[in-house]
Amino acid sequence: MPEHAAPLLRPPRHRVDPRARRWWTVQALLTLSGPMLLTALVMAVLSVLFFPGALPWLGPLLLVVLVLPALGYLLVMPRRRYSVHAWELGSRAVYAAGGWFWQKRRIAPLSRVQTVDTMRGPIQRRYGLATVTVTTASTAGDIKIAGLSDADAEELSRLIGEAAQDVPGDAA
Amino acid sequence: MSEHSERSVRGRAPGEYEAERSAVPASAPIAASPLPQWRRLDPRTLLVHCGWMGAPLGSLALTALATGGKINAGAWITLAAIAASFAVITAIGLVRWARTEFRVTDETLDVRSGLLTRRLRSVPLHRIRTVDLTASPLHRLMGVTVLRAGTAGSGDGGGELALEALTAAEAHRLRAELLAHADTEAAAKDPVLARISWRWLRYAPLTFWVVGGVFVVAGSVYRVLDGIGIEPWKLGFVQRAFTEFGASVLWLTIPAVVLAVLALGSVGAVALYIENWWNYCLEWTDARTLQVRRGLFTTRSVTIERARLRGVLLREPLLLRAGGGALVRAVAGGLGNREENRRRSGLLPPAPRPEALRVATGALQSPFPGTELMTEGAKSSHQAAISPPPPPSSLPLLTPHPRIALRRRRVRGLLFAVLPGTVVLAGLGAAFTPVLLPCAWIYAVVTTPLVLWLARDAYRNLGHGIHGRHLVTRSGTFSRDTLALQREAIAAWTFTSSPFTRRAGLVTLTAAVAAGEESYRIPDLAADYAPSFAAAAAPGILDEFLTVPTNAFPGAPSPDRYPVSRPRYPDSHQGSAT
Repeated sequence: MPEHAAPLLRPPRHRVDPRARRWWTVQALLTLSGPMLLTALVMAVLSVLFFPGALPWLGPLLLVVLVLPALGYLLVMPRRRYSVHAWELGSRAVYAAGGWFWQKRRIAPLSRVQTVDTMRGPIQRRYGLATVTVTTASTAGDIKIAGLSDADAEELSRLIGEAAQDVPGDAA
Repeated sequence: MSEHSERSVRGRAPGEYEAERSAVPASAPIAASPLPQWRRLDPRTLLVHCGWMGAPLGSLALTALATGGKINAGAWITLAAIAASFAVITAIGLVRWARTEFRVTDETLDVRSGLLTRRLRSVPLHRIRTVDLTASPLHRLMGVTVLRAGTAGSGDGGGELALEALTAAEAHRLRAELLAHADTEAAAKDPVLARISWRWLRYAPLTFWVVGGVFVVAGSVYRVLDGIGIEPWKLGFVQRAFTEFGASVLWLTIPAVVLAVLALGSVGAVALYIENWWNYCLEWTDARTLQVRRGLFTTRSVTIERARLRGVLLREPLLLRAGGGALVRAVAGGLGNREENRRRSGLLPPAPRPEALRVATGALQSPFPGTELMTEGAKSSHQAAISPPPPPSSLPLLTPHPRIALRRRRVRGLLFAVLPGTVVLAGLGAAFTPVLLPCAWIYAVVTTPLVLWLARDAYRNLGHGIHGRHLVTRSGTFSRDTLALQREAIAAWTFTSSPFTRRAGLVTLTAAVAAGEESYRIPDLAADYAPSFAAAAAPGILDEFLTVPTNAFPGAPSPDRYPVSRPRYPDSHQGSAT
């Protein structure tokens, strides 16, 4: 890259709560990795019990198709997410970064904020986490900050609410 | 298809004023008042409401015909259901008909309706701008007509009153009566942006998914036949035709079938075009309201307030583009969900591109970027990619995207189009029959140049820029879309990247708007340029999150990467990046 005089977008200042890594791990186990590992296990056991002849080719196949991707997802996704997810409340806009493979940074001005929702799923509650969703008039402008600690979420939603009040805007 | 126009206008705009009255008996004495008598709609409307039964009754008759008059238990149940629905619908229609009345006073058109809650809608005559008479074929059969009175749509007061239905003679009389008072002069002065020109019909076959459409129709015909118990493959004449032509003179049959499909598709596309765009008229009904009226059997009318019109989209699907045509859509709020928005946002049917540019400019009320200029720029793209030549007119060219975006498009095409087909054919050939091996070769040889050409086209079509009050972006090859979007309408910016784009130093910028399809992408911008472009296009959104990189650290980590090992929250990422 040549020298860039153009300003760059810096990452948001604040990371999400470190406990979010555990939450994402549990989520991965429940949604993708768990079922994949379970399927591999069941197929391997069935093969050992009933078709021992199939094991030499089924074993590597299961390993490559199910076990390794499941483990990779389980280990990589939460870490990558934690390194990417971040948020910041500026004086005029909310800024959040998220994702792990496809990464997304979204900035919405406070003048467009319509509602601030705080959501706690069952697993999130176990780890004392919450997700704050800031909605705007456009569905493509909704900002979601997942994995905040309860206290931060409360504080953030209060601050955004107040800031949105202060910034004059049509929210349209 | 048939209802959306009504909802579009009536749903949002409830008329001049609405008053809920305590139930007034329908037979209230009106002789005492000096006002004219309440009039009723035509009772034949009831029959029109039962028109939907044509399809099931018809299929029942077909079944009876096909089975030789024998009606089985299932058919009897269908018949009973139809009878029951008939009773219910007739009852509802009867009540509605009995409780709907209208009258024309000296100043207003009043309509009152409702069974329990009586509703009175009253429109001042001087605000009526248009009176449309529309009749579906069924209406015509019954000799009745629907009358729609459209009013000046200033603010939420604009709207439409529909009387469904009147005898044709009475409808014409009423129209004359309404228009005598109406402020037609105001309507006449308003600029009409475009009217239908039947020379545009030549673009119809270039738009409809010609071949696919025929298969869709054939599929649904087959399903209907299957549903009523006829298996077309078992009919004698079909089998005979197949054995005689299909098998023996295959080299004649295939081109014949292709030609037939193309002809049928074109006829269907032309018919659809005529049905959709009959009587098409796009006009500013007043300084603040853009209105589209169109439709042959079903008239559609969409009214867009100027404040809600956030931009204009010029679409050039591949075939249409090859034929020098384009169509125009509005990017407007309040047109309903995605599907409704797609159906209702049309401002211009497929038409010559100069016409499309003119209409886009008229709707935007500021010059729409001339695509001709940009294609000229693209023709010499080897130099345009580096430094675009100065524009021949005052309209600036769109800025091309980094060259690496071309490579991404090539790789994508080869990976997702050429490779899978070749691998599958070669694999099948190796496993089962060697006949498929040359097929694999031919497939690869034919598709590779095609994919490369499409990739080049896709890359050349990429462009973005700022034109006065508008952000302009262009992308797409199967449909080249040029969007002019009001900069102040942008409600949020999103920067999206994947590992591949991050390696290529690209980022996709998405503008969120509360209109149209809500999100509009500018794909594959240079990552170190996108933030400044976003900040310039919509100031005040991301300025406070920008940093100016220092050149003292040439090996500094890419700005899109986060430091992986950082202490816990809350902390500052910023310090670590430099």
